[in-house]
Amino acid sequence: MLSVRNLHAAVEGKAILNGINLEIGPGQVHAIMGPNGSGKSTLANVLAGRDHFEVTAGEVEFRGWDLLEMEPEIRAREGLFLAFQYPVEIPGVSNLHMLKAAVNAVRRHRGEEELNAMEFLKLIKQKAALVEMRQEFLYRSVNEGFSGGEKKRNEILQMAMFEPRLSVLDETDSGLDIDALKIVAQGVNSLRSSDRSILLVTHYQRLLDYIVPDFVHVLAHGKIIRSGDKDLALELERKGYSWVEDHAGAA
Amino acid sequence: MQALPDACADPRTRPYLEQFRDVHETLSGAGVEWLARSRVSSMAHLCSGGFPTQRDEDWKYTPLRSVMAHPFSLAVGGHVPDDPDRYGVPGLDSLRVACIDGILDSRCAPCPAAGLSVQSFSDMLARNPDQLKSCMGKVSGARSHGFVLLNEALHRDGVVIEIAPRVRIDRPVELLMLSCEDSALVLPRILIIASEGCRVEIVEHQVSAHAGSGLYCGMTEMYLEPGAHVKYSVIQNQSRSAYQVSGAWAELAENSRLDCRTVSVGGALTRNDLAVNLTGPGAHCDMLGAYCLSGRQHVDNHTTVVHGAENCTSNELYKGVLDDRSRGVFHGRIRVEEGARKTDAQQANNTLLLSRGAEIDTKPQLEIYADDVKCSHGATVGQLDDKALFYLQTRGIDPAAARSMLISAFVGEVLQSVEPQPLHDYLCALLDEQLSDPGTGEPGP
Ligand SMILES: Nc1ncnc2c1ncn2[C@@H]1O[C@H](COP(=O)(O)OP(=O)(O)O)[C@@H](O)[C@H]1O
Ligand SMILES: [Mg+2]
Repeated sequence: MLSVRNLHAAVEGKAILNGINLEIGPGQVHAIMGPNGSGKSTLANVLAGRDHFEVTAGEVEFRGWDLLEMEPEIRAREGLFLAFQYPVEIPGVSNLHMLKAAVNAVRRHRGEEELNAMEFLKLIKQKAALVEMRQEFLYRSVNEGFSGGEKKRNEILQMAMFEPRLSVLDETDSGLDIDALKIVAQGVNSLRSSDRSILLVTHYQRLLDYIVPDFVHVLAHGKIIRSGDKDLALELERKGYSWVEDHAGAA
Repeated sequence: MQALPDACADPRTRPYLEQFRDVHETLSGAGVEWLARSRVSSMAHLCSGGFPTQRDEDWKYTPLRSVMAHPFSLAVGGHVPDDPDRYGVPGLDSLRVACIDGILDSRCAPCPAAGLSVQSFSDMLARNPDQLKSCMGKVSGARSHGFVLLNEALHRDGVVIEIAPRVRIDRPVELLMLSCEDSALVLPRILIIASEGCRVEIVEHQVSAHAGSGLYCGMTEMYLEPGAHVKYSVIQNQSRSAYQVSGAWAELAENSRLDCRTVSVGGALTRNDLAVNLTGPGAHCDMLGAYCLSGRQHVDNHTTVVHGAENCTSNELYKGVLDDRSRGVFHGRIRVEEGARKTDAQQANNTLLLSRGAEIDTKPQLEIYADDVKCSHGATVGQLDDKALFYLQTRGIDPAAARSMLISAFVGEVLQSVEPQPLHDYLCALLDEQLSDPGTGEPGP
């Protein structure tokens, strides 16, 4: 599904990612954990195609494509989805309007017929119910005036609409209370299948109780310094990030 | 009668004085003494006072060099298209009246609505001139400049609309102001008399049937009697080489309401003066504007609202999207007269700059002589939010569509309250088209 090899990235001349290697197979759930500022969001944004970050070395293959050569919208249409750590507010553009344009852009790309207003409404109402989002939110401007939790739920709603091949969730769990966390986890789990993969970026172990990963990686200073199974997350939680960092330094 | 001057203090007025000498005896209402006198006096004032220059505070940011570069000749008429209706707002079920180069198209049937009278200015002057005497130029006299005087001296025709008391006109009245003659001087007049308690929606739709130049100086006067409610939308979609200096003046009696909106997309240089006088208690006006400019287009909106009575409210919002090397000017003057207690006057001018070469000059001007008043003004200038653009792209939306979505959302606020769906769609489409069109680089000012 996704194969990241020796990825380096910089912003304004400052190196942030320093040689990331990551293989995500179909159906797998990977978690990336790491202290603040370690480069988790940078990795997520580079994968989604934010041109603000300059890729200075390395390659990324996504479903056989050279991902780094693709425009962000093409990545999305080919099945890559990023749930933002800080979802953007777009005054004056309703959720409904944006999602209809988005869903139909994806459908056109795939040679499928566009959904008409009725079909679209039916689909979105069904997905909104899945993330327990009230319908009035569909008519509101994208994320405008949403609480932190509502924004995150809105990201999951969008993910559910797109049914992406690879979902990258950037700290979708932070700032959520336990009920919201369960709803988000349920939304993500409902997408799990043998041909879809998920990359969870998180700071805390808590989310991993609800979405159990196949692999856990620890990112520090723009490098994956340790990989393991779900137990690594528990160990990390117990011992704190300094433990891995010391460990990596010693190794 | 005042004599015409021989000399012109401002040489730019000379060609217009010459035209005046040639035609003034043939202009509409030539036999009406008060009008003939007023025309001569306006012409004399124009010759002595001249056209504005950038030394005038009110014209500081609007260079007239290109407008004045060569004189325009009064439209001769007769350039009548076979089917003016095809220039109308598509799908709008309106009562349509066409003015071709400022002259009411006689093929237009009198309006088939009870309580609505639509007549040509020249007919009215021929039949019943004294009815016009009391209102013509009364409001426009307030703050005149050279272009107003030009219209006052040389206007030929236009439309007089009267709505009877307490009548509600269900269909919008569309004034199709069609420019057909290349490089002509067009001087239409519009007079609207909204009687007590009536309701009407009027759309002044300016459009060119040619791609050439021309100078359009329209003057609109509106009188709203107590309790009248008028919606007035102006669509400025003239050719990209056309010049326009127009004015609209309104007087609002107690509890009347004016919702006016100006949407500008066409023209090389456009200057709009809008002055609203709230003369009766409880009057309200909305002044909305949207302009989307590219190439070297220039739009200058000069607005004045005078709160002259208690409990009046005004709400002003102008939003501009400027691309390429276009330029916007906004001047918003709010004057609250002594005794106009409980005034609520809001004003905002927000601009989206899409290129480094684009510029906006904004100037609010508040003059408050009363107590217990709420007044506010604000201006913002920004760029498209690149985080939002990226966000939309990650949802599969291509950058051009994402841009257009953000821009429509920005100006959309001004169009929100447009009720007839075909009119709303048409305005959105005009703005959208304007922005997807790469700047044509037409010569600007
Ligand atoms: N737009 C930016 N401009 C400058 N520095 C940035 C920018 N984005 C991130 N950084 C820097 O890159 C490093 C990694 O940030 P980030 O990827 O957001 O970390 P994380 O998501 O792991 O907390 C930090 O030192 C941060 O300050
Ligand atoms: Mg982050």
